[in-house]
Amino acid sequence: MIRPRTTTEVLEAVRAAVRDGRALRIVGAARWNDAGHPVRAPETLSLAELTGVVSYRPDDLTMTVEAGTTLAELDATTRARGQWCPLLAWGDDHGTVGATLATATSGPFADALGRPRDLTLGLEAIDGTGRHIVAGGRVVKNVAGFDLTRALVGAWGTLGIITRVHLRLRPRPAVDATFAFTPRGAGLPPMPIAALAQVPLPSAVAATLGVADAAWLLRVGANASAVAAARAALDGAGRVVELDAAAWDLVRRDSAPPSPARQWRWDPLSLRLRDRFDPQRLLNPGLLGEAP
Amino acid sequence: MTALATTLERIVGPTHVLSRPAALLAYRSDALPGHRLMPSLAVMPGTREELVAVVRALAADGTPFVARGAGTGLSGGALADGIVLLGLHRLRRILAIDPAARTATVEPGVVNATLTRAAAVHGLHYAPDPSSQTACTIGGNIAENAGGPHCLKYGVTLNHVRRATVVLPSGEVVELDRGDDGGYDLLGAFVGSEGCFGVVVDATVQLTPDPQQVITLLADFLRVRDAATATSRIIAAGIVPAALELMDQATIEAVESSVYAAGYPRDAAAVLLAEVDGPSIGLADDARAIEQLCREAGARGVRVATDAGERARLWQGRKKAFGAMGRVAPHLVVQDAVVPRTALADLLEEIQAIGAAHRLRVCNVFHAGDGNLHPNIPYDADDPDESARVHRAMGEIMARCIAAGGTITGEHGVGLDKLAYMESLFTAETLDAMCALRAVFDPERRANPGKVVPVRSCREWHATAAAR
Ligand SMILES: Cc1cc2nc3c(=O)[nH]c(=O)nc-3n(C[C@H](O)[C@H](O)[C@H](O)COP(=O)(O)OP(=O)(O)OC[C@H]3O[C@@H](n4cnc5c(N)ncnc54)[C@H](O)[C@@H]3O)c2cc1C
Repeated sequence: MIRPRTTTEVLEAVRAAVRDGRALRIVGAARWNDAGHPVRAPETLSLAELTGVVSYRPDDLTMTVEAGTTLAELDATTRARGQWCPLLAWGDDHGTVGATLATATSGPFADALGRPRDLTLGLEAIDGTGRHIVAGGRVVKNVAGFDLTRALVGAWGTLGIITRVHLRLRPRPAVDATFAFTPRGAGLPPMPIAALAQVPLPSAVAATLGVADAAWLLRVGANASAVAAARAALDGAGRVVELDAAAWDLVRRDSAPPSPARQWRWDPLSLRLRDRFDPQRLLNPGLLGEAP
Repeated sequence: MTALATTLERIVGPTHVLSRPAALLAYRSDALPGHRLMPSLAVMPGTREELVAVVRALAADGTPFVARGAGTGLSGGALADGIVLLGLHRLRRILAIDPAARTATVEPGVVNATLTRAAAVHGLHYAPDPSSQTACTIGGNIAENAGGPHCLKYGVTLNHVRRATVVLPSGEVVELDRGDDGGYDLLGAFVGSEGCFGVVVDATVQLTPDPQQVITLLADFLRVRDAATATSRIIAAGIVPAALELMDQATIEAVESSVYAAGYPRDAAAVLLAEVDGPSIGLADDARAIEQLCREAGARGVRVATDAGERARLWQGRKKAFGAMGRVAPHLVVQDAVVPRTALADLLEEIQAIGAAHRLRVCNVFHAGDGNLHPNIPYDADDPDESARVHRAMGEIMARCIAAGGTITGEHGVGLDKLAYMESLFTAETLDAMCALRAVFDPERRANPGKVVPVRSCREWHATAAAR
């Protein structure tokens, strides 16, 4: 197992692999599921030791971290400054930032706070030809050049190994309330969007929801009067219990690890993309069910 | 008449192929002065079938081309240098609006504001709102990944495009989406590709429900720095304003001296235009919090507008600021850098100093909430000395923005205008990777050649050039 500690070491490992035509299985914390498409590679490259917060600028709501940093560390760091790590995904928080981006895994807050692809301002990656890509930037709006960041996020490592990322963070709202809500009458399901449309959603952060045991779990982040109004509307529509935000951690942990789609779209354009960034099929070959 | 022109005339009809220089003059520039190039020919397809047939004819002929929407671009992106210009303004049908799914499917030449007007009966609108929205097209917006004042809350064009049909320069017609069902984010790669990857044939975009209530505030400051500080504090407080725009003294002066006068205090060093929208409950509290944060940062006064007429007046100055500056001098150069929000205060001072050193007047009017600066300089492009000073000042401003950890364009694109800065922003290997991404869509580099990435940055191009 190769365990690089810097982007340069990843670069050296990939260049050696390119030279020898030796494929690599790329892992962060090695927690994702291959969905029946195992990687065919003689060697594993782990990013678990490429860790750390490179820079955190709370006032700009941006952060740069190495790809092997865990979501738990990201959460702890941002929490300490009253900010929100919007990447928190379904599953536990031992997963790495790099894998979360590579697999485009999101969690219950994605609709309100953004998906990984919306939260990635830029990244560094080593592609399958041994190019060191430094894409995007650290600012929240950027159209300089062709968008390599979008191409690499969600590509399951098959175009490049993400080594460092620039993230956009979100401030925490004045009030961050979590409610368990059981609608009156009929059983559980048809709650979400229809009933929520009746709730005056706050302007600061829209509510997000997931399914808990017997109730809908709702998170409403806004100013005090908007949250109170949301609460009142829910009270009128069913039974409401206010919970600690930690309830979300329990719900998230209950879900399965990410796995790639059974049928990856291998249309001509997608094949050409792979050809341009990993012509020798050195990065996670087989994972997306492509022909050998 | 060349053989190609005859072929194209057969596809679109003779009135929609222009080849006389006098007829082509209109396509010599976009909305940015300083770049002028003449196409050899302009062809304007009127249907999807004609568009695809035209692109295939160009492919068969090996001819490069440049797609063009409304030509409101601000980076010289839609200019064709002796090659074919592909005008898309006749493709302006709204193909479908689905109010339940909140989507619209449109041809590329549909004007941004026209779509919003068509969606209004359903209580919906198209959220990305470039200040040019009454003229610019959805195709041009997709090509530039356009932004606008309300993108602070609602996101830029990319966040609102669901799928697109694209005709590649080879003539292949492909369907692009974000790969949510298991696929690469090809649409994400395409949006913002500035016409270099192919031509949008149609696109499905998201429509956004109109907010229940909107409150607009205008805070005036005696120091630009204080307005910048207020901006950072508002964002940090966890309020997500729909828009947060800053205008400096030079801009206020231009606006107030024009027919677009909005009643901005002429003696203010800067005004901050803030807007909150959404469900009415709690909205007034957000507005009050913004007012409070502005006052704490040193605002002299804050005006709050809730009725539509007064809000429109406050916005008028912002929306028409470019037009108002246009009165000051024959030409206006518009820049588009982005910096971390906390760097705004220092940079605005440095930009003023750079302007003064070159004896130029810089007017700043920009999307402060995103840190997206628009330092604009009114000048006379026919005065070579002044033009040279503008060029030098812009170079210095860009260098400062890059040094502050920023980027050279937030929404207007690189086009021709910012090509020279690409090598100071990106490494050679990264530029080469951009060339590789382009090659996925346009390996022959026939779509909008010579834009965005300097040709010499493409390793592969070097290899083939050396082999020749
Ligand atoms: C007063 C003023 C204010 C502005 N304000 C803003 C603002 O707030 N935010 C912002 O982002 N921009 C702004 N702009 C810039 C400009 O309006 C946008 O870039 C807009 O998206 C361009 O659209 P267009 O239809 O005019 O495109 P054009 O200028 O015609 O073309 C722009 C680029 O898009 C390509 N293109 C056009 N159509 C297609 C297509 N169908 N398929 C593929 N490529 C295509 C062209 O090749 C070219 O590279 C402003 C411009 C002006 C003049």
